[in-house]
Amino acid sequence: MVVLNKKSFRLPRVEKEKFILLLRLGLNYNREQGIFCVANYNNIEKLTDTLSSILNVDEVLFAQTCMTCGKDFPCSDCKYQSSCATKNLPFQCVCPQCLREERTSEKPVQSKPF
Amino acid sequence: MREELLWVEKYRPKKIADVIGNEEAKAAFVEWLKNKCHTKKAILLYGPPGVGKTTLVNSAGNEFGFRVIEMNASDTRSEKAINAVAGPATSFIALDTFSTESKGNILFMDEVDGIAGNEDRGGVSAIVRIVEESRIPVIMAANDPDLQKLRPLKKVAALVRFHQVRIPLIIAMLQKICQKEHIRTEFEALEHIAENSRGDVRSAINDLQSLAETSKTLTLQDTVVLSARNKDISMDETLRSYFSAESLLEAAMMLSRSSVDYDDLLMAVGDNLPLRYTDPADLAEAYDFVSQADMYRGRIGVENWHLLKYFFNSLSEAAAVSPESYKPFTFISPPIRVITLFWTKGKRAMLEAICSKIGKKCHVSRATAKQDVIPFLKLALANQKTASTVSWLELQPDEVDFLTRMNKL
Repeated sequence: MVVLNKKSFRLPRVEKEKFILLLRLGLNYNREQGIFCVANYNNIEKLTDTLSSILNVDEVLFAQTCMTCGKDFPCSDCKYQSSCATKNLPFQCVCPQCLREERTSEKPVQSKPF
Repeated sequence: MREELLWVEKYRPKKIADVIGNEEAKAAFVEWLKNKCHTKKAILLYGPPGVGKTTLVNSAGNEFGFRVIEMNASDTRSEKAINAVAGPATSFIALDTFSTESKGNILFMDEVDGIAGNEDRGGVSAIVRIVEESRIPVIMAANDPDLQKLRPLKKVAALVRFHQVRIPLIIAMLQKICQKEHIRTEFEALEHIAENSRGDVRSAINDLQSLAETSKTLTLQDTVVLSARNKDISMDETLRSYFSAESLLEAAMMLSRSSVDYDDLLMAVGDNLPLRYTDPADLAEAYDFVSQADMYRGRIGVENWHLLKYFFNSLSEAAAVSPESYKPFTFISPPIRVITLFWTKGKRAMLEAICSKIGKKCHVSRATAKQDVIPFLKLALANQKTASTVSWLELQPDEVDFLTRMNKL
């Protein structure tokens, strides 16, 4: 299992065909820095499968970015991962801590006076 | 009056930033909309229902000053109807773009997977023509872009995929609505609504509204009444649950929760019954119930959905004729029609291609060609008097061979 950051990650040198496939599946390559980033999310499942075959691992996971605090966090911390259809894919989410904080900051709402 | 508004409308986002989830898709869409020199003139937003495709288009129109001309493609299906609505909208530039802050129009065709795809009615080809000739951006939305009939659209449009909205995001949004509506809720109740919605924001809001209608306090106990939305229950899963149900009620519940096509379900149950009962008398009785269910299905048609419970009840009884004669088995056969369609896919494609050629030459639809011309052509082929016809129709040797073999079968 490998955890990647969707904005920048490195890959071992791949054959020309594999490289073209990666670009077609939605990766961008920064030649100067030698890093890849996810640019298109239409074929994200196929992309993760291809990445796991290149990296020779069972599973490739992407770190999630929290929309509230901006921190990166793994899906394994989330209690909804069993019912999530897009777990481990590089989409934005709310981290468990921010969700907990929202929950604790929730104040009972006063009902309207009659 | 305001109280009666549906919350999905009341809290429909006005700005792009307010549309929850699918940040990447939103960015791609905004990028396309801002970019005047589009590499492709149209964009196809696709993904499951209730994830914000329509909302995003309307809020983007609001934010960037476009007037959205909306057309639901599943209501306007044929070439003529599409041209009548979309043609004028895309060929003229609105006068108010010169006098007001409006940046002009955008054409939004929702549910394009509902349009007629065949050549006879020409819905898809009309849209392709409109996209090619359009002077304004064209946006389309669909649930399933993998349909064969949408292939031409995918060639002329940039594709942006929408995914199910994640549960934490739905919870956060439900919390905001509850605050605005002055509803006191348990966090677990919102959690349950969000999980139950399976990424469909619209249904989550509708569930919240229906639960909060009677009381301004919402507990987890209140949400128990929500039945699970089983959008992804496959035919195989439905049949397994149906045949392993321990009571009539449970079987009927399983059937009602499934989202598979009722006609396919009926056939699949019929196909699997011989695998279930060992006693022919029990099997015959089970088939009686299936035929009863079939009768109800016929009466339901497309509008008498109040009869659906009788359909489910009859079908459930077919699985519970005699539990003693149940044969223990694990294999669930897919509907034979599905298997047949799979095996005959190549043949059907060949026949369609031949009918298409005949249609073009004889100025008839493919259906008419299949029904009226093919039988004569087969007969002529059998009598080997077709050389000139074959060359006129531009049939390939493999197509002639196919028709000849079809004749012998």
